[in-house]
Amino acid sequence: MAHVILDSVRKTYPNGYKAVHGADFNISDGEFIVLVGPSGCGKSTLLRMIAGLEDVTDGEIIIGDTVVNDVDPARRDIAMVFQNYALYPHMTVRQNMAYGLKNQRMSKDAIAERITEAAKTLRLEEFLERKPGQLSGGQRQRVAMGRAIVRNPKVFLFDEPLSNLDAKLRTQLRAELKALHKRLSGTFVYVTHDQVEAMSLADRIIIMSAGQVEQIGTPMDLYLQPASRFVADFIGSPSMNMLQGTIGADGHTVDMGNESTLRFAAPIDAQPGTKVDVGIRPEHLQATSSSAAQFGLTVDFIEQLGADTVVHGKLTGQTDPLTLRLTGVHSIATGESFSLHSALENIHLFDSATGKRLN
Amino acid sequence: MKKVQFSRPLFPYLLLVPQLSIIMIFFYWPAAEAIRASFYLEDPFGFGSTFVGLDNYRDTLSGSEYGRVAWFTLIFTTLVAFFSLAIALLLAVKADTVLRGARSYRVALMWVYAIAPPVAGLMAILLFDQRLGPFTHMAQFFGWDFTLGVNYWDTATAMVIVSVWKQIPINFIFFLAGLQSIPRSVREAALIDNPNGLSRFFSVTFPLLAPTGFFLLIINITYALFDTFGVVDLIHKGEPGNNPVTLVYKVFLDGFRGGDLGGSSAQSVILMVLVLILTVVQFRFMERRVHYN
Ligand SMILES: Nc1ncnc2c1ncn2[C@@H]1O[C@H](COP(=O)(O)OP(=O)(O)OP(=O)(O)O)[C@@H](O)[C@H]1O
Ligand SMILES: [Mg+2]
Repeated sequence: MAHVILDSVRKTYPNGYKAVHGADFNISDGEFIVLVGPSGCGKSTLLRMIAGLEDVTDGEIIIGDTVVNDVDPARRDIAMVFQNYALYPHMTVRQNMAYGLKNQRMSKDAIAERITEAAKTLRLEEFLERKPGQLSGGQRQRVAMGRAIVRNPKVFLFDEPLSNLDAKLRTQLRAELKALHKRLSGTFVYVTHDQVEAMSLADRIIIMSAGQVEQIGTPMDLYLQPASRFVADFIGSPSMNMLQGTIGADGHTVDMGNESTLRFAAPIDAQPGTKVDVGIRPEHLQATSSSAAQFGLTVDFIEQLGADTVVHGKLTGQTDPLTLRLTGVHSIATGESFSLHSALENIHLFDSATGKRLN
Repeated sequence: MKKVQFSRPLFPYLLLVPQLSIIMIFFYWPAAEAIRASFYLEDPFGFGSTFVGLDNYRDTLSGSEYGRVAWFTLIFTTLVAFFSLAIALLLAVKADTVLRGARSYRVALMWVYAIAPPVAGLMAILLFDQRLGPFTHMAQFFGWDFTLGVNYWDTATAMVIVSVWKQIPINFIFFLAGLQSIPRSVREAALIDNPNGLSRFFSVTFPLLAPTGFFLLIINITYALFDTFGVVDLIHKGEPGNNPVTLVYKVFLDGFRGGDLGGSSAQSVILMVLVLILTVVQFRFMERRVHYN
């Protein structure tokens, strides 16, 4: 049993800076959790508190069935992989992996066996006698993972392990990591600021902003039902279009201010007259005949990505930016106009004042 | 590096002249003079000199006095280097853990370095003074009748203490810089891998400090051998009597007090060879030194 529970965990740094304002969540045994959020939102702080590298100012952290607030990092049965690898430069790859096990007083044979196995999994056999300085970035990061694997810990912690690597290697190691999680069935807590990494790796994502947990859910929860404007904006690329609207008198409609009105089946959870942000993902907008149009788009420029074409423009007659994503290759000229339509279930409404989801 | 072409080929040498002349006048010339003088027997009253070949070296090395001083110098150097490195390392580790206080620590420990050796010696004399010295009082409190300048070992103790005290700050600065250049995440990885602080220090921190440590070891040996002259001189108050002296101080005593210029030149040539060896060792090491990352 190696679930991790955070119970109203707070962190105030010695200089008085409040980095985490109360994190409450349960991570189940064997789950792959990704902590994601913009730079400085407190992801690393949270992870380092789970590792024991930072004191917990308030609240409790439970690993397995023990409150670990006052337990040494080395006795928490965790392993951590750092962004800059943090290998011991004076030790060979083998010694790096053996170090933690030696300190647990494991027998030499058992250590050698574990290293052999981990090296095979990570394709590190030929590098075992090298020093970290003689390895490439990707190889070093695999050694760092090997050092974590051999310990067979209850919980694996990763702090942006792939962000120092080039895009191709990152994709490759991401796949390896996913496979590794399947094989080891350990509990993984993974920090990143890259939403693609988060979406592709996570069983559940915890999305943070300014020391606060914004939403916890599966990648599809976050994509389809973002709980706030912040989440809606953070997940998805290119990011969600945000248009201005006002709740209509009957509580079912949103007046878009350009003669078009969106009519929802279910009542909207807000007073008539409330200002709302109407969110629509670029991939959920479709070109349509002018009779069914909800919005008009005037093209500024396009991005040809091969598989997709991203059209950047403005809401016709207004200055609000609007982005449209079309599959395939299209040739579109600047100044051209589109009539656009989106299914109502793909339209997200957020209170302009609080940013909370309304539908 | 950028190459600059001078139109007149001799111009660059002209630019080097001031530096070269300083090196010539203050280093090569005296060194050459010492080597020359070591082969002559100088008349103490300046009435000429006689070529005696290696006699000065033979006399120096066969004298029991020289062996005794060499032994003392060896012990003195070992003690000074060991204690000034060990204490500085301890202080640096402590200062490093309270990072926030590191600045004031650093200043508090560094200012000693700004004291000129004779001043340090004077302060030491006050500390160890027979009637007024706090150290003497403390020694008496523990039943140790401490007599600076009278008892051989007491004087040696004072010499070691003052020399160590004087050298700690520079070691401290280097060690602290060395400690702070160890990546934080490497130490944190060790924190997760090893619950025992002492074992962590010796298996991770200390090896990563080794290059700094070796460099400092050479520096400290050189210091204890040569730069402690001022301290030794002040502690003796110019009256060495039966008190311990180091090899460098003996060169001065024999040459300027004893008037044996040939013998003292031979001694300084021996010391020059020693410095040369130390330098070669240091350069060898620096070349082979493992460059982590
Ligand atoms: N030792 C510290 N003392 C004071 N403030 C700190 C300390 N460490 C971090 N902070 C602050 O706490 C906040 C959260 O830092 P944290 O490292 O957790 O961010 P992060 O979400 O991991 O960001 P990034 O994606 O850039 O790594 C930041 O504003 C940072 O400036
Ligand atoms: Mg971080």
